[in-house]
Amino acid sequence: MGKVIVVTSGKGGVGKTTSTANLGTALALLGKTVAVVDADVGLRNLDIVMGLESRIVYTSMDVIEKQCELSKALVKDRRVDGLMLLAASQKNNKDDMQPAQMKAICDKLRSTHDFVLVDSPAGIERGFNNASAGADEAIVVTTPDVSAIRDADRIIGLLQHARIEPINLVLNRFSPELVGNGSMMDQADVLDILNIDLLGIVPEDSGVITSTNRGIPLVYEDASPGSQAYMRIARRLTGQRIPIPDLEHKGLLTNIVNWFTRKR
Amino acid sequence: MANSIVALRAYRDGLHLIIRPHLSITEIEAAIQQEMSRMNRPLIGTSVQIDLKCPTLKEEEIAYLRSKLQDTYNLTVRSIESPDEQASPPIAAAPTTHAISQIADVQNSRDSEPSRVVPYTIRSGQTEDFPQGSLIIYGDVNSGGEVRAGGDIVVLGALRGNAHAGMNGRLSAVIIAMELVPLQLQIGNYVNRRPIDQKPRGYPEIARIGAEDIIIVEKFVKF
Repeated sequence: MGKVIVVTSGKGGVGKTTSTANLGTALALLGKTVAVVDADVGLRNLDIVMGLESRIVYTSMDVIEKQCELSKALVKDRRVDGLMLLAASQKNNKDDMQPAQMKAICDKLRSTHDFVLVDSPAGIERGFNNASAGADEAIVVTTPDVSAIRDADRIIGLLQHARIEPINLVLNRFSPELVGNGSMMDQADVLDILNIDLLGIVPEDSGVITSTNRGIPLVYEDASPGSQAYMRIARRLTGQRIPIPDLEHKGLLTNIVNWFTRKR
Repeated sequence: MANSIVALRAYRDGLHLIIRPHLSITEIEAAIQQEMSRMNRPLIGTSVQIDLKCPTLKEEEIAYLRSKLQDTYNLTVRSIESPDEQASPPIAAAPTTHAISQIADVQNSRDSEPSRVVPYTIRSGQTEDFPQGSLIIYGDVNSGGEVRAGGDIVVLGALRGNAHAGMNGRLSAVIIAMELVPLQLQIGNYVNRRPIDQKPRGYPEIARIGAEDIIIVEKFVKF
């Protein structure tokens, strides 16, 4: 029996879809069976980020309308074993789906997959309610800026009200340089406000743009800092204890230089 | 409030100096001195109304107090309200907007009103209302969240959102937070906005209506 995790944020553009695609792929690379579900009916994106947009025949709406079986609507990612995508319909809108229908799909997927990641749309209305309807746990994605944090705070309140727990935080687009010169909130400030467990920090990585445009999730490439961060988060999701590296402090070399040049 | 003989309170029509029943003028004088020394800055030129609840005071003693307030503390005595018509000085008293019973009510209400404990953080979009009395929050009030109480609001965490104490008009209500960095504070119908670039100070603070009818914030030491 797997678990259903909704990936949400409140605010748009903070990296829900990128995080869903990368965590889904990373979990599959770690040998888990994964279904990623796009819950953004009418504004689907997950298929593009995963590079599977040309292979979608059926969507979750077709499953709900009994046009096809769930197994038929799942698109298999051929680059890695055990990864499936359930796309959202692009011609319907969010009100065409009921939370109970989404929950039924999640319940079916839970019995056949280790992880079901549901990519929630931005907002707190029907789309969010649909996405979170079948969820056991939640990942809240935020960037370290005040508007994203206020929206994340709102979403956490709604998730707690719906008794979805645990709720873990992914701090995305984190820039140690900006924190260093005082123009970005640091990790402690964000956690002080949101007061939930930190699942991981993803550093700002321009590789994300290229990977999105090419439809190849970052985690297929080992070297990028974003890729490594997502791999660590995926390992934590499988229960491994991986410490969160301290991105705010300078590298070893800088520390050594500082040690030699410090005033005595 | 430490001073049981006199109290300086700000009401809608201005500052009131309330003198409670007591025996001697010297004690009242000492109490006034003590009350004035608690002020952060001198109240030069401010006008006050004296609410006498001390009918045993003689007319010349009242006149003495009046000149003392004007000479020593530079306060302008606007009017003197007395419960006893006979003891009332020959100054044209302004129409009483605050009956004695009402003032007594205001002073007693903190003791008599109920309070509610909220054992969680108020997040963005959530509100907590308690018009019947005071609210105690075991957590934070985040930006976008709102707490409103008929009495006081005590936040045992950070107050980053909006807080409205004394929502039924009790102007003696206070707002206390371990970290007071709100967007807006309201006490009764007085509103105060957050100053630009406000930073947490690292100590608890209290907000109340101060001498000049504005919400003032200062370090919270004790009730």
